[in-house]
Amino acid sequence: MKLLALMKKEFHRFFHDPRLIITMLLPGIVIFLLYTVMGEAIHTEPQSYDYKVYLQGEAPSVTSVLEMAVEKSGNTVTWVPLEDMEAARKEVEEGEATAILTFTENFDLFPENSAVSVVYDPMDEAGSSFYALAVGLLQQIGMRFSILSEPLVSENGIGREIMQQILPFIVVCFVFSACMSVTLESVAGKKERGTLSTILVTSAKRSHIALGKIIPLACISMLGALSSFLGIVLSMPKLMGLSIGMLGGYSFGMYVLLFLLIFSFVPLIVALISTVSTAARSVKEASAYTSVLMIFVMVISLVTAFLPAIGNWVIAIPVLNAVVFMQELLAGGLPVWQALVSVGCNLLYTAVLVIVMAKMLSSEKIMFGK
Amino acid sequence: MAEEIVRAEGLKKTFTLSRKQQKIEKTGETRRVAVDGLSFSAYRGEIYGLLGPNGAGKTTTLRMLSTLIRPDAGDAFICGHSVVKDPAKVRDEIGFMTSELKLEGFFTPDYLFDFFGAMHGVEKGVLAQRKRELFSKFGIDKFAEVQVKNLSTGMLQKVSLVIAIVHDPSVVIFDEPTNGLDVLTAKVVTDFLSELKAMGKSILLSTHIFSLVEKLCDRVGVIIDGRMAAEGTLDEISKGDLETSFFDLYHSIKGETV
Repeated sequence: MKLLALMKKEFHRFFHDPRLIITMLLPGIVIFLLYTVMGEAIHTEPQSYDYKVYLQGEAPSVTSVLEMAVEKSGNTVTWVPLEDMEAARKEVEEGEATAILTFTENFDLFPENSAVSVVYDPMDEAGSSFYALAVGLLQQIGMRFSILSEPLVSENGIGREIMQQILPFIVVCFVFSACMSVTLESVAGKKERGTLSTILVTSAKRSHIALGKIIPLACISMLGALSSFLGIVLSMPKLMGLSIGMLGGYSFGMYVLLFLLIFSFVPLIVALISTVSTAARSVKEASAYTSVLMIFVMVISLVTAFLPAIGNWVIAIPVLNAVVFMQELLAGGLPVWQALVSVGCNLLYTAVLVIVMAKMLSSEKIMFGK
Repeated sequence: MAEEIVRAEGLKKTFTLSRKQQKIEKTGETRRVAVDGLSFSAYRGEIYGLLGPNGAGKTTTLRMLSTLIRPDAGDAFICGHSVVKDPAKVRDEIGFMTSELKLEGFFTPDYLFDFFGAMHGVEKGVLAQRKRELFSKFGIDKFAEVQVKNLSTGMLQKVSLVIAIVHDPSVVIFDEPTNGLDVLTAKVVTDFLSELKAMGKSILLSTHIFSLVEKLCDRVGVIIDGRMAAEGTLDEISKGDLETSFFDLYHSIKGETV
């Protein structure tokens, strides 16, 4: 009951103050807008594509309409009869061809029982723009044939590589900032103003007081982290001049593991900042300590991008484990057990920090020392 | 005989002096004894005052009694619970008021009353009844939904007092109750303490104001340099004039006149 009351109070404080909600969600929105505008500014030249599309099977009624639509949009298309599927796929992967269109037999005669498949590279702007045009048109035609999309994921795509290297670093930085913005004020601020001591005079357990801070602050920080994560992920392709469709190149499992890693990382950071804030005598002092921590975390996040190979020992290292496995996930790997053990380790470290914070709350030197 | 509700037995507390403090006080000593073997008792339904100059050890004593800090030696018992061995039970028996403990300005008196009630494990129905009574008695009901940061000093003090006794504690510990308050707010506080006494509560307060002791206290303990210099009823201590008696005592112990 006491823990619940402590948690409710933190949530009440946050959700009844519109300014706090805005400051928590704003970074994600600002990142999205900023990166999108920057992307627009960098990649301003109007794109005119000469699509090279491999054709398998015949459907003149569709291809002629599609050709007209392509020309109307200011682009051109060259239809190339498909001879070698493997070679064509390789060309699409390498960006030399735009797409492969495959129509089932007698497509024009029996469209209701037919299907068309589109193979394209979602990270290639020409590929994704052709795909959008073709699928939009096929859907407009309105006949009941099936459309099968097959986005290719090139192993060494530049977009993926950039995402893999930069995204974990940016995510970690923004998650840290989100945690810092709510935790410093809620712990160091309340300690400095003497409102935390008022709770210490009650019979609430110190571990409950620590948990009553860390759990709600972690939940609130997760909102900020989610906002920043979405802002980064949705705007990053635009910033790099890539198609947003590249995000579809990742599997559902990858996203689940990615979120799990981020969501285990958030309570750990909140617990870390809370512990540092409890030890500090003022918000100013806590900010100074936390800034050092942030630099340390940023360096760790960056360094991993330049290390050629890291062993499984990294699982046990907080921050580093999240960054390394985020990078692996974005590189196309699915290190399930490593990611899950990392999540477990992060939660374990969070529990240890809760105990440390509870001990600090019991320490008169820390709480009442001048 | 009255029931003993607070018993301090040889309380001792020593602090380490920082280099900065050593410089300010121009001393080479690294440790400072704040409370040195203090023993006293307070009884149910009485107001017990700890009287002494600044730095005598009054606040440190009250902090030990309220379990915010631990004694280096000795122990104190509140309603039979040891402040050393059973601090959580002690916290449920006391209401502690000091200017160091503040209320969060964002919340309303209504919310904070419920919150601190939950912190002390007060049952919801009892809490609602108690809120009605106390808010009405101290005129807080009209300000129940006003954020604490927007309350006047007097009203804030009333809210702090009411929240300190949300769980109906047996003992109310009050550090320098009228320090820094204007005459009107100070009257609110002194009236409140008399009310609490009338309710049968035991009150332990620290002060250096003679008139406050004379007005409120049933018994008084004079602390000088962390030690109990004299203890008893006002008549026993003052023999007519408390201020004169205090300075005589101070002179006899310290060997200096003020």
